[in-house]
Amino acid sequence: MRISLAVLAAALTAGGLQAQALRPNGSASFVWARVQSQVPAGTQDFAGNVFLGQGAVGLGRLQLSLSYLQGTLNRDGALGASRDLVEGTVMLGFRALDWLTLETGPHARAYALSGSTQRWLFWELRARAATAFVGSAAQGYAELWRAVAADANVPEPFDHAQGGEVGMILRLARAPLAARVAYRLDHAVLGGGTRLETVDGVVVGVGLAWH
Amino acid sequence: MMRGRSLVRLCAIAWALGVMPSALSAQTSDSLFATGVRAYKNLEFDLAAWLLRRDLAQLTAAGAPATERAAGLVYLGASDLFRGRRDSATAVFRRLVLLDPRFRPDRLVFPPEVTSLFDGVRLQTKTVTVEVPRDTTIVLGPGSFDIWLIASSFQNVEVTLRYADGAPFRALYAGPIGDSLKVPWDGLDAAAAPPPVNRVVLRVASRALTGELAGIVQVPLDLRLSRPDTLPWPPPPADAQLLPERAKSGAAKRSLLGGLLLSGAVAALPAVVGGTETPSGPRMAVAGTIGVAGLVGYVLHRPGRPLVANVRANQTLRDAWQRRVATTTAENARRRREVHVVVRAGEPSLIQPRGP
Repeated sequence: MRISLAVLAAALTAGGLQAQALRPNGSASFVWARVQSQVPAGTQDFAGNVFLGQGAVGLGRLQLSLSYLQGTLNRDGALGASRDLVEGTVMLGFRALDWLTLETGPHARAYALSGSTQRWLFWELRARAATAFVGSAAQGYAELWRAVAADANVPEPFDHAQGGEVGMILRLARAPLAARVAYRLDHAVLGGGTRLETVDGVVVGVGLAWH
Repeated sequence: MMRGRSLVRLCAIAWALGVMPSALSAQTSDSLFATGVRAYKNLEFDLAAWLLRRDLAQLTAAGAPATERAAGLVYLGASDLFRGRRDSATAVFRRLVLLDPRFRPDRLVFPPEVTSLFDGVRLQTKTVTVEVPRDTTIVLGPGSFDIWLIASSFQNVEVTLRYADGAPFRALYAGPIGDSLKVPWDGLDAAAAPPPVNRVVLRVASRALTGELAGIVQVPLDLRLSRPDTLPWPPPPADAQLLPERAKSGAAKRSLLGGLLLSGAVAALPAVVGGTETPSGPRMAVAGTIGVAGLVGYVLHRPGRPLVANVRANQTLRDAWQRRVATTTAENARRRREVHVVVRAGEPSLIQPRGP
């Protein structure tokens, strides 16, 4: 399935690859992140500032994007052990329209607890719409994703997961610099609703984009 | 003895002419001239004079060029001189001078008696030849229609332009002339205005040093005024070339609606993907930031706001058009001032005063 999608995307864009220049971009952001785990035994909330690095390179209508997030989240509202959050994605995207990009790829997440590590792996389909709304300086975007498959080392069986991000990117007129503010939210349901994992965060960062 | 022999030969030729008129008519002027010159060189001056007169009569009737007639006249004059008919020779030389004031007999061919008589006649005969371009165009004012006068000898001339009825149009020159003289005409009349008629007569009156009128040469000049066409005005910049100078409402609405939509999307994201129990504070902060950005965008792109870059670009276009208009105006003014006159010269005619 995944190979077929990649081959289809390559076939659709092969003609446009010639005479196309690589378009790299990257950004570094701080994310004020919250993780909420609801299990029958109770709810655990964690929050903290984590670092998010993202990069992408585009060629024609194809795009390969990577992201890495790492930080420590502290127990919210009570004394307790903190947990380290590490997350990464590798997405292969296809710009179907000027404002619409479809992506697919793995999304891995790990919580390092005291003595154990909880690992999650989602295979996601993403759709991202982006367009300028304040002249050409401010671009708004909205992204939704849904996991088509997942694997997690938790007792409950995976049910479904989805998420999204909505934000705004401000570009300077004569420089490749850009600033970003966004809100993101992931929500996973396991065991028929007995376990809910929600990760949300406010993203504030700066980036570079070469055109 | 010699004269008698020439007479006999002349009679023989006359008889032959009478017997064979058709044969003589077929004879070319060249052969008459050559025969006449041969007779002159054989000192048969009566025969030479008779042949050359006949040759000249044919050439005159045929309207032959002056150079051909001049060659015959000088031999005829010399023949008459040696026939002892000095008055006749003087008349022939006078005719020759009137025909071509520049003509000079070849001093290697003709003896001093002939050249002296010719020079005397030339000095006494006051005439000029007028040479003008047959068809030319000049610019009124700065242009020049050059009239060349070639004089037979030192004399006074009056060069005037006259209407067809003889009334004065413009006086060009009055004064002495030695060998030749160029008289320019700027195409204007006496009041420095373009000529109001399409035909004038160039008149050159020769006067002896005593003031006596010696001859008049007239050349009709056909005039035609032409004014160059003026250039059309350059068209002003088309509306399609001009950029809007005031912001339309589209960008402002897009900012406002985009901000509202994105803010709403941020606020509604938990409802879309789940996780509704997440705290709303950070989310609302992001939604508010985006909403404020939309409002700022609306203010920055408010309808009717002057678009400075577009105004500047349009002004550049309008300035370029104004420069083209100024250039065209100057060029048209120059063209209106620059009136051309086409001058076509007719055949000159010589008027000789009646003798006393």
